[in-house]
Amino acid sequence: MKYAVEIEKLNVYINGFHALKDVDLRVPQGSIFAVMGPSGSGKTTLLKVINRLIDLVPGARVEGSVRVLGVDALRADPYELRKKVGMMFQIPNPFPHMTVYENVAVSAKLNGAVGSRRELDQVVKWALETAMLWEEVKHRLDRYPSELSGGQRQRLCLARALAMRPELLLLDEPTANIDPVNARKLEEAIASLKGELTIIMVTHLPRQALRVADYVAIIYDGKIVEYGSSQEVFVRPSHTVTQLFLKGEV
Amino acid sequence: MASWAVRKLEDRLFVVAVVLGSALALAPLAHALAVTLYNGLSTMARAGLGFFVNPPPTPYSASLGGVAPALVGSLLLLALALPPSAFLGLLLAVFTNEFPGSRAAALVEVGARAFTSVPTVILSMVAYSLLVVPTRSYSALAGAFALTAASLPYSYTAFSSALRMVPEMYREAAYSIGMSRWTTVWRVLVPIARRGIASGVLMTLTRILGETAALLFAVGALRYVVPLNPLGPVDALPLLIFDYALSPYKLFHEVAWGAAALLLIISLALFALSKVVVKGVRL
Repeated sequence: MKYAVEIEKLNVYINGFHALKDVDLRVPQGSIFAVMGPSGSGKTTLLKVINRLIDLVPGARVEGSVRVLGVDALRADPYELRKKVGMMFQIPNPFPHMTVYENVAVSAKLNGAVGSRRELDQVVKWALETAMLWEEVKHRLDRYPSELSGGQRQRLCLARALAMRPELLLLDEPTANIDPVNARKLEEAIASLKGELTIIMVTHLPRQALRVADYVAIIYDGKIVEYGSSQEVFVRPSHTVTQLFLKGEV
Repeated sequence: MASWAVRKLEDRLFVVAVVLGSALALAPLAHALAVTLYNGLSTMARAGLGFFVNPPPTPYSASLGGVAPALVGSLLLLALALPPSAFLGLLLAVFTNEFPGSRAAALVEVGARAFTSVPTVILSMVAYSLLVVPTRSYSALAGAFALTAASLPYSYTAFSSALRMVPEMYREAAYSIGMSRWTTVWRVLVPIARRGIASGVLMTLTRILGETAALLFAVGALRYVVPLNPLGPVDALPLLIFDYALSPYKLFHEVAWGAAALLLIISLALFALSKVVVKGVRL
């Protein structure tokens, strides 16, 4: 099996706090991989190590081996690495000074995914369609994100991440701050990407992980306590923490 | 627990106290503005268009004359001092925003604070010894040097706080799509902070237009000729106001009022223009 992400003995310290402890993880290529666990367990930190956004965290120190798309992520040029690894954040953060079109086009242009203006238009349309937003904004491409709803903004962020044609997509609780209707659309969009690229999704919702993910890892207090196929983990959880988490007791 | 009526009364009293306090604090400023505009506009009305194109009067002139040399001098000084002050201020603000924990950034911060408290007349003396003495001439350039130094801490502080107001999540978003640090700065952070940056430019501009002491030993006073040479002496509106307001001649006092009102109108007009031209970003 080929792996998009291979992590061994990963330890992360943030200003002396041991945020991730001896994490070992392999994410199969083309799969949707859910990372679950209580707040503060290190899920977002794990994503930020994969695309090196951890570099922005003051006082962060990373040890171990992290291979992303065959590259040693901790030694690679972070800007080059991020061109292959898209990310969507918990709070929708489209660029407020750019129009809907520009928000999507900027990542396609930056990453050399397009040549001509026509090609760019096609990529923007494809990304917005894949993010299930095209029908809602096709006549408002020149408007600003402040005129969209929270859920539409989050889907715009998905379109922005997709327009760069990433091989790996990191989703940090993508439906946490949006209404159920938008959450469903976003989830459908994510599910439609299965097989096309590798997705690592942090989520608090076991049902969502069960619906969408092929694999699940449970992280608790900076440690991966259990991981395997989502059926295995949800149907026969072997670790006490997983059992408690699924019952909503941790 | 206080009853609803008591809380409502307390709320009203608090609002009244705040409004009265604000009115008291703003009253002297409003008075100064009103007096300046009243006296200045009266002068301008009597002088007509000549106020903007004529040189100032002599003490016993029959006509009011104008402030053309000082006005052109001020604009020339502004043209020479604003770009370096705004550009350097922005560069320094970007630097300290990008490398907040570095020693160089701490040095810039301390330097900016220290520079704000340096009397601007000292900067004028520095300009005198560095530029006026070697060239043997007062000049707009020496004045612009002093004005740049005087306004730089203000432009830096304004730009720096504008950049700090940009939420960190936009930097993360930019990095996540493969933008480099500098592309992020110029394509994301600075455009998002553009309203604050425009206010910073305006603050710098008004500081440059209104500064008097920084010019005392630097520009000379080419009071009766419209200056066109940046390497030669110039006059400026604040210098003219300072000199004429202290003179014993009534005619000069009137010209000083007119010049003060003109300075005020230019500043307010530019302020209004910046609000119209630079649209804020709705986050």
